[in-house]
Amino acid sequence: MALADAAQHHREPGAGADLARRVLGSPALRLAGRRLLTAIPVLWGVTFLTYAIMSSLPGDTAQIILGINATQGDIDKLNHKLGLDQPFWERYWHWFSNLLHGNLGTSVINNASVNSDLGQRLPTTAVLVGYSLLVTLILSVAVAVLAARRPNGIFDRLSLGVSTLGLSISPFVLALLLQYIFGSQLRWLPVISGSIGNNPGTWFKTLTLPAMALGFGLFSVYTRLLRADIVEQMQREDYIVTAKAKGVAPHRVLLRHATRNSLFGLITLVGLNLGTLIGAVAIIEPLFSVPGIGAALIDAINVHDVPLVEGIVVVFALVTVLGNLLADLSYAVLDPRIRYGRSTS
Amino acid sequence: MAAQLPSAAMIPGAPPLLPPLVSSRRLRAQSLSRTLRLWVPAGLLILLAGMCFLLPIIITIPPPTGGSILDANAPLFSPGHILGADPVGNDVFSRICYGGRIAFEVSLAVTAIGMASGCLIGITAGYFGGWVDTILSRVLDVLIAFPALVLTIAIAEGLQPSEFHTILALLVFSVPAFGRISRAATLAVRELPFILAARLSGTGGWRVMVRHVVPNIVPSIATFSLLGIGIVIIIEGALDFLGYGIQPPAPSWGNMIAQGQTVMDVQPQYVLVPSLFLLAMVVAVNALGDALRERWGVR
Amino acid sequence: MSDTLLDTGTLLKVAGLRVAFALGGRQIHAVNGVSYSVAQRQTLAIIGESGSGKTVSCRALLGLLPSTATVAGSAQFRGTELIGLSDAQLRKHRGTDIAMVFQDPARSLNPTMRVGAQITEAIRTHRQLSKAEAREQAIELLRLVRMPAAERRFHEYPHQLSGGMRQRVMIAIALACRPRLLIADEATTALDVTTQAQIMELLLDLQDQLGMSLIMISHDLGLAASYADEVIVMYGGKVVEQAPSAKLFGVGGAVRMRYTRALLDAIPHLERPAHTLLPVVGGRPPDLSALPEGCSFAPRCAHARDDCRQAEPELAEHVPGHRWACWHPCENGAAPHD
Repeated sequence: MALADAAQHHREPGAGADLARRVLGSPALRLAGRRLLTAIPVLWGVTFLTYAIMSSLPGDTAQIILGINATQGDIDKLNHKLGLDQPFWERYWHWFSNLLHGNLGTSVINNASVNSDLGQRLPTTAVLVGYSLLVTLILSVAVAVLAARRPNGIFDRLSLGVSTLGLSISPFVLALLLQYIFGSQLRWLPVISGSIGNNPGTWFKTLTLPAMALGFGLFSVYTRLLRADIVEQMQREDYIVTAKAKGVAPHRVLLRHATRNSLFGLITLVGLNLGTLIGAVAIIEPLFSVPGIGAALIDAINVHDVPLVEGIVVVFALVTVLGNLLADLSYAVLDPRIRYGRSTS
Repeated sequence: MAAQLPSAAMIPGAPPLLPPLVSSRRLRAQSLSRTLRLWVPAGLLILLAGMCFLLPIIITIPPPTGGSILDANAPLFSPGHILGADPVGNDVFSRICYGGRIAFEVSLAVTAIGMASGCLIGITAGYFGGWVDTILSRVLDVLIAFPALVLTIAIAEGLQPSEFHTILALLVFSVPAFGRISRAATLAVRELPFILAARLSGTGGWRVMVRHVVPNIVPSIATFSLLGIGIVIIIEGALDFLGYGIQPPAPSWGNMIAQGQTVMDVQPQYVLVPSLFLLAMVVAVNALGDALRERWGVR
Repeated sequence: MSDTLLDTGTLLKVAGLRVAFALGGRQIHAVNGVSYSVAQRQTLAIIGESGSGKTVSCRALLGLLPSTATVAGSAQFRGTELIGLSDAQLRKHRGTDIAMVFQDPARSLNPTMRVGAQITEAIRTHRQLSKAEAREQAIELLRLVRMPAAERRFHEYPHQLSGGMRQRVMIAIALACRPRLLIADEATTALDVTTQAQIMELLLDLQDQLGMSLIMISHDLGLAASYADEVIVMYGGKVVEQAPSAKLFGVGGAVRMRYTRALLDAIPHLERPAHTLLPVVGGRPPDLSALPEGCSFAPRCAHARDDCRQAEPELAEHVPGHRWACWHPCENGAAPHD
């Protein structure tokens, strides 16, 4: 008895290192490593495609900068200064080799370093996305579990209606509506945002409306998926019947058994969705004047600021790839079937 | 052995011995609910389509553009302008109808073309596997990781914005999405025993694909395409809203909302009316997709 | 507590059990008036093909059916009526009085929960024990079901065990609170033949050791013949034949109902001449949402006559201890293979 206890205690502090060892040596990490390797050509493909498209757009950057009245000579001089008269491949190679050194180039428009420009904007976007994601996930799980308790009950049908609405409403319409209701009419929340300034508290308030605009659509997708998954587990899986047959209380069956196994699917979805989320940011940020990465994108495209567009695209693509990677990894860490292989019996 | 007289009726056509256990009221309610959930959204869509495409042909309504300034800002339900007129004098209802045509046409075209090409890529990749799959999957990955918004805006910017170019631009979203889902569906179906049986019997690759794989993934592709129609409608609206799609004065629900944005505080109806129609259409499409998914048992 | 029972030693008495499902606007009559009783320490086999209602009728006892099901009739366990109890009340009986072992242990165990935790969950649901005490009991249970290296297995996940070991875990879970009645629903169907025999032997030994009654649900007549005291044959949601197993399968077997006869005949025998066609039962199981009038087996029965199709035969005890429901049963004493 004492021996068994001692053995148990020996497990506890060592468990952390034990887990780490298992994960590191596991097929999971090898899978992740493989994914990372395949991600590199994908990233390259994305940057190349963007560069090609941006470069083949009609319209002259120098002309846009100088305005309509510029002379051809001035345009040519500026083009030469910006290096825009070099052939495509030279320009791309130049940019790419800079990228490999971590330098994203210089913005054509305001001559600021793209690195520093994005560096300033990135935290804002990150906070917005994080804020939105966190609140959405908490709400999603809560609503999905409550809905799954009584499938086709009142709460379930209500949440289904709300999530259908969330899926169907265009983000810009939602943004306008939120501004109208909470901003002009009720005057609860500020309509436009700004930089963090001196008051983080107020800054968070200004981020609330854009976070809601982002989050509502997310909430709908996540809640639907999780609820469907939980209900599926509860109704079709045999281990649920076993749990019930043991006499386990319904709330524990729902939470410890069904929901716990459904969270996988949700985490995977969050990872895979990260790319789409970033894309939505590009529309939401300008509407609320949030000075993040997305806000810069549309303006940059308009003025053919290729380095800036490329820089933003690189960030977006990186986030997407990382999201996919996270989704795969989470499976490996959380699903014991992958974490521990078959043992010899 | 002689037959023993049963204790119940021997008359042919007699009602079953045991009374039904589940109340017929419950069964009827269940059946009614299912039917409604399919036909209400379908009916709504048919109504909207009829309104946008047929109504302007059948009855005379004011033109969507070139309205007289005298009619400007006519409120709802004014004579001759059932949904009012916008600040320039155009009839709102007429603009809704013609704008709705754009929504239907673009979403259906994008989804149809996207489904055809995306599924071709995805099914080929999923079915043949190996290096075919690897290459095609990387291509799909690039398209998915690529911020399609950039390309969409770029296309709209570079080429003259028009309905056709909008369709092209939106294909960037549609093709990889269908590619991904058809590949996943094909992978799921490929492992089923009857596919293996077909291949073992010597049926060629393409034949198996067309005659066996495709019919089995139709339910999931079909329900996904409904979801896709909804998404395309939303993105198309967003494009118009940002000014890269259909240009005013030609009406589209997105650019109507954009125009209404400036006067939203005082005259919210210019934002609300097209928003409501947009919402109704997408809700109907999504609800229809849900009902079909339930009927066909797709996950 | 069992004073209200007429027979002493009767553990479970099922009478007129009916289950119907409401699905897609139609009614599926899964169980249509099933009655039987199980005595202490008795082994009852319920035999039937898929869709005969054998699993549904047993799950109905513990209220383990989905919400689309409606249950009627009576099932008395030591005098307590189970049908109609609320879920909270039934939970007191689940695992403690009646426990179930299911068919596919790969799917019947939570894949993300360690095997030991699933056993201790069964224990701690009904008894106030500390984690350590529950763990001890769980390991004891694993030893009881003859699990090799019980202490190690306690910490493993289901996918790390073989099929036979997983089923032992299921049995350990079922026995956690020493139930009086164990229902084994196709417990050995998903296992290979050798493991099957091992698990059956284990079940019977445990039954003996712990003084339990056992209901085995199966489609395998051989299993019933070898291990059961009493056999019930179900078809179309009803009991069509019931007798002690010796009477049914023993020498001079007295199978009466045509369906049971057909089942027996479909088992290949070495004694048959080579290349004889296997007499399988043609047709398909009845559509439970539209049961025919008359005997449900009539459409597939080679000996069906007009009266079979018009009126349903009642399950009656024509010979003491042996009940059947057939207008034109087999002759007495027909050899099992002819």
